[in-house]
Amino acid sequence: MKVRFWGVRGSFAMSGREFLRYGGNTPCVELQTDDGQRLVIDLGTGATELAKSLMGTALGKGTGELPILLTHTHLDHIQGLPFFTPFFLEGNHISIHGVDPDGTSLEATLQNQLAPHYSPLGGLENLSAHVSIEAFQPGDRLALGPFKIRTAAMPHATMRTTAFRIEADGKVVTFLSDVEYPDPEAPDPQAVALAMGADLLIHDAMHPDDEYDLRRGWGHSPVCAGIAVATAALCKRLALFHHSPDATDDQIDALVASAQAQTSIPLFAAAEGSYVEI
Amino acid sequence: MSSGAPGYNFPRMQITFWGVRGSYPVPGPQTVRYGGQTSCVEVRSSGGGCLILDAGTGLRALGQKLARESGGAAGRYHVLLSHVHWDHIQGLPFFEPAYIPGTTIAVYALLTAADELQQVIGGITRHEFFPVPLDSVPAHFQYHEVEPGVRMTLGEFLVLPIALNHPFGAVGYRIDCDGASVAYVADTAPFTDVLHKQHFLRGLEPLSDADRETLAQIRADLVKAITRCDTVIYDTHFLPDEYKRFPHYGHSTPEHALALCVEAKVRRLVLYHHAPGHSDDLMDQVAKDYAAQGEAVGVEVITSFEGMELDIEGAP
Repeated sequence: MKVRFWGVRGSFAMSGREFLRYGGNTPCVELQTDDGQRLVIDLGTGATELAKSLMGTALGKGTGELPILLTHTHLDHIQGLPFFTPFFLEGNHISIHGVDPDGTSLEATLQNQLAPHYSPLGGLENLSAHVSIEAFQPGDRLALGPFKIRTAAMPHATMRTTAFRIEADGKVVTFLSDVEYPDPEAPDPQAVALAMGADLLIHDAMHPDDEYDLRRGWGHSPVCAGIAVATAALCKRLALFHHSPDATDDQIDALVASAQAQTSIPLFAAAEGSYVEI
Repeated sequence: MSSGAPGYNFPRMQITFWGVRGSYPVPGPQTVRYGGQTSCVEVRSSGGGCLILDAGTGLRALGQKLARESGGAAGRYHVLLSHVHWDHIQGLPFFEPAYIPGTTIAVYALLTAADELQQVIGGITRHEFFPVPLDSVPAHFQYHEVEPGVRMTLGEFLVLPIALNHPFGAVGYRIDCDGASVAYVADTAPFTDVLHKQHFLRGLEPLSDADRETLAQIRADLVKAITRCDTVIYDTHFLPDEYKRFPHYGHSTPEHALALCVEAKVRRLVLYHHAPGHSDDLMDQVAKDYAAQGEAVGVEVITSFEGMELDIEGAP
């Protein structure tokens, strides 16, 4: 299995010279099995770059299928949806899987994103591809093609986000972004269960540990939280993810160095365009 | 001689471009020089008055600058929205002054449906989309409906909203201050192929005679409104071959903008709202080509980039 990062930036897309190495696009991650089947997590602005790379596949000809998992519907995780080219090719079959936000549904939320006030698309019904919105309950297990997925709800500011444990090709990738545990230094039992033995743990690392106190309650983790989960769950590698919009390339380099000094688990900061062989 | 000539130090308006991109922000190596953030322009009077045109992602950096300048003190800000498509409003929740108690943020926009502006604009921070609702930030948001053709006085600025041709409606603004004028014309399609209303367009639809009359009226009103403006900032999202493929998307080309500016005797046209796929190298070519085309017809044409500052000169 291969993981490719198309957007790694949290909250806000950042352009400019200081963000070129790690990238400024908001979250979007592609998983691909050895035989070429794909799964996408989140549709931040990175999805616009993913879309370009898919034009040479069946999705560029209107004969493709693609399952997409959404961790949640905060804008930085869906703002690439209206510009994801496979939606505009008739014949594609795309399914979007996520949890209903409190008090509304996943479908109503995405409809609202495309409402005529906000988008010339006007609504999901105007996407040319066949698009199905499939809500699930946190804790449900999903089987999407070759991908076997376990899900769990995690605390994230005023809402809950969904974390995923994804198995394919005999490998495990765990995705825990946009999470803030009650105590980041104490490994959260649910997170540890989801990450147990993972070949790669992709974890929210928005805040340097020494800045976390200023930003407690914003819904994101300090770097030490991902290390605590990876350690308790015996993960083989850790990818720091959801970089702060203000973190320059040099600052992320420094963050990685100080994080690696805390653990013997190999870790790296996810960088846009890069991929990891699992 | 114009008041902007060297050696003269007349007070005048200044504008700064914080986001020049259309549709969505585009980070990366191809947008380093022209910038990747979406629509946002700051207008300053010589007396320090401030108007903000559109609240795209460029607004975040502007907000950081304003908060720095005020030393964290409360202020009063006017934000004029052309319309509420995401690329023109998604900077609002990231506007630092919104988190400074005592601050007032007056938002001006066109009411395009029965929904209240507060619901529509506040709706971008419903809990599914953003953790902090605009209704509950420390700053106080006020919402004001604008009407095309009806002038408003905002501090030192005289502001005229102008109807445009864009899906679900949009307005431009002519701003007069310090004896000079600047107009902001985004987003708009030209006035020949499509009359944008309130339904989704898969492609071109036949125009009725009434549609043609409406388009001619919008165009005539626009030309009148921007007549003899020193500087006109215009939605030139598309190059001509792109426009041919997407005439129903609601955007113009530099040719469309230049024709209007010639007719309205505008001194300077600023190309704005660049398509997200237009790389720095392509924009260099665009800047060069249209500067020459403008020169041939007596209009200075410049291509906006993030961080660009312009003085607005008074009439000669």
